[in-house]
Amino acid sequence: MSAPVAIGTRTKRLDAPQKLNGQERFTADLKLPGLLHARVVGSAYAHAMVKGVIKDAALAIPGVVAVLTAADLPIAPKADGTPGENPLVEDEAVFSGQPIALVLATSDAAAEDGVGAVEVDYDPLPALMRMSEAMAEGAPMVRLKTSEVSDEEASMHNADAAQDSGEERETLPPNVSNSIHFSRGDVAAGFAASDAVVELSFTSQEVHQGYLETQVAMATVEPLGDLRVYTSTQAAFYCRTRVAETVGVPLHRVDVVPMPVGGGFGGKFVLIEPLVAAAAVAVGRPVLLQFNRMEDFLAANPAPGCEITLKVGATKDGTITALESRMTFESGALGGSPLQIAAILMGGYYRFPNLEIRGYEVLTNRSKMGAYRAPGAQQGTLAIESVIDELARELGMDPMAFRLQNCVVEGDARPNGNAWPRIGLRQTLEALEAHPAWQGREEARAKGRGVGIAVGGWPGGVEPATAVCRLDADGKMTVVLGSVDLNGTNTTFSQIAAETFGLGAEDITVKTASTDSAPYAGGTGGSKVTYTVGPAVQKAAEDARQQILSIAAEHLEAAAEDLEIIDGAIRVKGVPGVSVSLREIASMSMTVGSRFEPVYGKGSSAITESAPGFAVHLAEVEVDELTGETKVVRYVAAQDVGYAINPASVEGQIHGGVAQGIGWALYEGMHYDDSGQLLTATLMDYALPKAEYVPPIETILVHVPSEHGPYGAKGVGEPPSIPGAAAVANAIRDLTGLRMTDIPIRPERLAAALDAAETARTASAAD
Amino acid sequence: MTVDVPVNGTSRREEIEPRMLLVHFLREQIGLTGTHIGCQTGQCGACTVLIDGEAVKSCMVLAAQAEGHEVTTIEGLAPAGTLHPVQQAFWEEHGAQCGYCTPAMVLSTVALLADDPDPDEHAIRHALDGNICRCTGYHNIVLSVRAAAQKVAAGAVPEPFLQR
Ligand code: FES
Ligand code: FES
Repeated sequence: MSAPVAIGTRTKRLDAPQKLNGQERFTADLKLPGLLHARVVGSAYAHAMVKGVIKDAALAIPGVVAVLTAADLPIAPKADGTPGENPLVEDEAVFSGQPIALVLATSDAAAEDGVGAVEVDYDPLPALMRMSEAMAEGAPMVRLKTSEVSDEEASMHNADAAQDSGEERETLPPNVSNSIHFSRGDVAAGFAASDAVVELSFTSQEVHQGYLETQVAMATVEPLGDLRVYTSTQAAFYCRTRVAETVGVPLHRVDVVPMPVGGGFGGKFVLIEPLVAAAAVAVGRPVLLQFNRMEDFLAANPAPGCEITLKVGATKDGTITALESRMTFESGALGGSPLQIAAILMGGYYRFPNLEIRGYEVLTNRSKMGAYRAPGAQQGTLAIESVIDELARELGMDPMAFRLQNCVVEGDARPNGNAWPRIGLRQTLEALEAHPAWQGREEARAKGRGVGIAVGGWPGGVEPATAVCRLDADGKMTVVLGSVDLNGTNTTFSQIAAETFGLGAEDITVKTASTDSAPYAGGTGGSKVTYTVGPAVQKAAEDARQQILSIAAEHLEAAAEDLEIIDGAIRVKGVPGVSVSLREIASMSMTVGSRFEPVYGKGSSAITESAPGFAVHLAEVEVDELTGETKVVRYVAAQDVGYAINPASVEGQIHGGVAQGIGWALYEGMHYDDSGQLLTATLMDYALPKAEYVPPIETILVHVPSEHGPYGAKGVGEPPSIPGAAAVANAIRDLTGLRMTDIPIRPERLAAALDAAETARTASAAD
Repeated sequence: MTVDVPVNGTSRREEIEPRMLLVHFLREQIGLTGTHIGCQTGQCGACTVLIDGEAVKSCMVLAAQAEGHEVTTIEGLAPAGTLHPVQQAFWEEHGAQCGYCTPAMVLSTVALLADDPDPDEHAIRHALDGNICRCTGYHNIVLSVRAAAQKVAAGAVPEPFLQR
């Protein structure tokens, strides 16, 4: 390959100007004639039978046009003839805030007034909010009516979740919707052979994706009968399928227009679109629903809380001998949780000759659980990276050296038996080891700081994708694709296509089209867009290039091999002055009677091997001993990215992931009272990290090229959000001697632990 | 009721419900949708506009209260087709990802630089504490504000950008 012209350079986001000057149109900014604003009437109880909905008072409010309940929605039966899933409560509400009715009005304010006037008649039922209660013998059911639990979405994020764990099913406790079991070797023998064993129990709370733009969708029935849905979705084609199934129309009668997404992080695959579409069909007018922040906390799809007990043993020379764990993951009232991937990663970063993991997904009366950036990975990683750290201490080993000694490399097995492909965990550990922040850890300690490190890995996702690359009449190239640009991927694709043509990224337009016209691409999630759509773009651009060269060859009467594309013109190598411009090629191939075919390149990819990405983070913290407040004062994030096509956007992804990791570690958690009322339903009570809570973030990009990604690139979105909680917990341990196992490590928790430790010290001193 | 709010240098006389918030006035009544809503309870800062040059959360103000005060939204920061030096700096330093917090971040930066033309890291983070960003981890936003300060100090003016 000659020296790259467009790839590998820090490239400004091509779509940034409209984001900066207010011209970007998000879904809620759209206006359609006759638009109705929707607001939901959410269940007041975490569990109740809904006996009736009284609409009259609401309908009397000026501006209110309709109050829709489950019975008013046109819900199609499933393929097997059973009733379809209704997005509104039919009779049993299973979490607080679950949509029971939808008020439609000519203004948002009138719709909100309408919600206040709708009366719902309930028969309350016991709510089960804790996993231990729900699993207890003889516990009542979280929902009286059961339905199939689907993990369809989980498989879109990582290749491992797409497989069944293939295990026997044991007899499960009540309200357990799924279980997993991974086993290898002889765990008892492994522990018997060990010199040190660490066993700890961890809890993490339910955490919200915290996208700044709440869930929003608008649907309209077009004059010719098609249903069009404008929505902030990460996954347009999946959304189309779900909408079409819900209202019972063929796929080709639904067009999903993926709008700019104001933050998704896994939480915006599909949620309110079937409801909004069904409402638009029911009333024959366009309907816009945007959750307010409270509704989003109550009725969206946050990441589940969990409890993990983990035991790991090793011999004196630092060889790990065994791992044993029991994990329970909340799966909300509707089921589904990233338990399996949590287990695979927890038992997958190091070589465990003997291993036994049992896990349970437990229903509780909480909202649906969803994907949040590397779903399952944070929770599993907190456990393993805390225990590994503690075990290194027990053995008197350096935590970096202990990790390097045991870390997995290509060919080592994950808990499910699948071997890791080429990975860069070792190289990433080494990169961080060489960094001044690690080398200078004693100086940091001397300043009263703690230093912690942690690993985080993500298996990566795969899904077939297609892209097209066409030459337009103005001589410009346009790439059209179906993947949603969450984080600058379209700029990355401009770079990839530009590289093929020897142009600058700004010379290539990349458009995400709606499902009517876009070539297929899977959802933007699981760190797979650059990895899987990138090769399709590359091939489409190459195809277009060949078509251009063959037209030029005929036109210039030269052999195609003798041609080169320079600055938007095709020239005969070594013959100055003989050239034809892209614009001329465009007009030669798109005019009446022309003998040349229009330039329309197509490229597809169906990569089946994912490219796992690893990150290793270092956190340096200070703790206020009085208040228990932890401040992260320095942060270094090393990550194997394969190859950074746009280093600026790769670093940006890492920065954002780090801040979310700090949120997991110290601030974020959703809390319910025992009756199932959410106590953290505003951004006042739910703390998203602010500018002052996050330190400057140093990044180290490691390049262990993937086999199939464009120029060796790997997915980079998930890994940076994974190690944060464990790195911070390990830093707190380093500083205070306290092993904090429950996240978030809020000041009151740490202050209480510091107090208890102090009391114990004084007591033992008095002895 | 009738209100008359000067927005981006033009007086906007509108018939509204008295309870209408300034953010809804801007978005719904006069169609300036660059002002975003992330919470409506004063925490996220996505609705920040300038009122008489001060950064204010427009979900915390009634439209009627803005009467007689100069309101500047992101649409009014620079002439159409150009980017203000602060916007340029955010572009160059990769200070925007999803873009939802971005107009508000830009306006908060403009207000900060008017008060403190050369803010250090601490001052920047402090000044932006009312503006949540979930995408950037604030790192590149801080760099953007620093770069903006330099541009403004050097007398930079709005520059045209290539409309795509
Ligand atoms: S919308 Fe005004 S502060 Fe969040
Ligand atoms: S760029 Fe997405 S919230 Fe700031």
